[in-house]
Amino acid sequence: MTRFLAAAVLLASGMLPGGAAAQFNLNLNRLIDTGKNLREAFKDVDEKQEAEIGADYAAVLVGASPLLDNPAVEQYVNRVGRWLSLHSERPGLNWQFGVLDTNTVNAFSTPGGYVLISRGLLQRLKNEAELAGVLSHEIAHVVRKHHLTAMRKSKGMEAGANALSLYLEQGGQRNAAAKEKLVGGMKEVMLRGLDKDDEFEADRMGVVIAARSGYDPFGLPSVIQMLQASNPKDSELALMFQTHPDPGSRLDALDRAMGNRMDRYASQPQMADRYAGVMRAK
Amino acid sequence: MRFGLLVLVLLAAPAFAQETGYAVRETEIKKEPFTDAQTVGTLSEKAQVKVLDRQNGWMRIESGTQSGWVRMLSIRMNSSQSSFASGLKSLFSVARTGSSGQTVTTGVRGLDKEDIQKAKPNPAEVKKMAAFAATQSDAERFAAENPQLKNQKIDYLPAPK
Repeated sequence: MTRFLAAAVLLASGMLPGGAAAQFNLNLNRLIDTGKNLREAFKDVDEKQEAEIGADYAAVLVGASPLLDNPAVEQYVNRVGRWLSLHSERPGLNWQFGVLDTNTVNAFSTPGGYVLISRGLLQRLKNEAELAGVLSHEIAHVVRKHHLTAMRKSKGMEAGANALSLYLEQGGQRNAAAKEKLVGGMKEVMLRGLDKDDEFEADRMGVVIAARSGYDPFGLPSVIQMLQASNPKDSELALMFQTHPDPGSRLDALDRAMGNRMDRYASQPQMADRYAGVMRAK
Repeated sequence: MRFGLLVLVLLAAPAFAQETGYAVRETEIKKEPFTDAQTVGTLSEKAQVKVLDRQNGWMRIESGTQSGWVRMLSIRMNSSQSSFASGLKSLFSVARTGSSGQTVTTGVRGLDKEDIQKAKPNPAEVKKMAAFAATQSDAERFAAENPQLKNQKIDYLPAPK
């Protein structure tokens, strides 16, 4: 507190160089704001901070399940994903895609452009258009910042919002306790899932991003049908089912949103051969 | 030879034949997977179907004595009683490692709630992702390998009321 006070005095007396003063002013205002309304903290997240939060978020996921050690598959998923991201509203993010080496069927994204798909899900897909559908759904979450919305609402985050503001303000030198709180908030979101309406929105956007990129838009609905046809008691699907609306309601919502609108793109390629070729390769 | 083998495996895979579903509305059955193809029958609402094939938004189905193509989103699936492990086996060997070509024993490594709760962040593993990342021009070159993959301008779908 005294440090802030001292700096405020310096600031008032014009003893700080211009840039530093402006920076400090911004930080001070931000701290005051977050003190007043802790949930506001994430509204101020800029692109760099978003990427930092996203990298920490991704570190938790790959901490739970390592990446698949198959460069050809990792590279392929990155190329498909990056191509799709170019057809989103945030083509300039530092998009990075990865495959989690787990039998579990799931896909995740984190703020700033990290997208992870499980080996178990890859193994159940039939073609590149289905992969495009899944990745586009995740890209939509990033574009619309759905994770930040969910983190703002998380309980752990409310309790630790001071920690969050510290986390955001401290630049390279992270406060360990702040980071721990933040990781807690991220885990809460991973376990609880994003808002239901945000999932439906990501489905609608995912279909369009895949079609804009030249793929058959029915890849994503086809994957959701595969999920619906699976055994709901299958432990490999448990977390995904717990954190998403049930496949039936997702299909109903897509059915109503798509109507005949996407039919003219239905003959766009699915690329089953290229998909199988990469997945079968050693 | 390799392709022939793949076809054999596909034909032998029982899971495609086991998939069943039902119609969510009265639906025309088409001779081919196109809107303007000849209508060869009608599926009544709630009619049970066997799913035989899929193609770009269409499903080839069999229902009683009727068969043909119906719109994919007119069908909802019945959930399977068997797990993936004992049903449809993947053809793909993504579990193989890069250099040795040996199949890794992946066992039943999962990613459930408990795994996330006790996960310790692994920033070094995240940094590995950057090594495989594609640049914009990588992605554009990749897309250009298949000239069918064309850019389209399409608006997002509005939320249904």
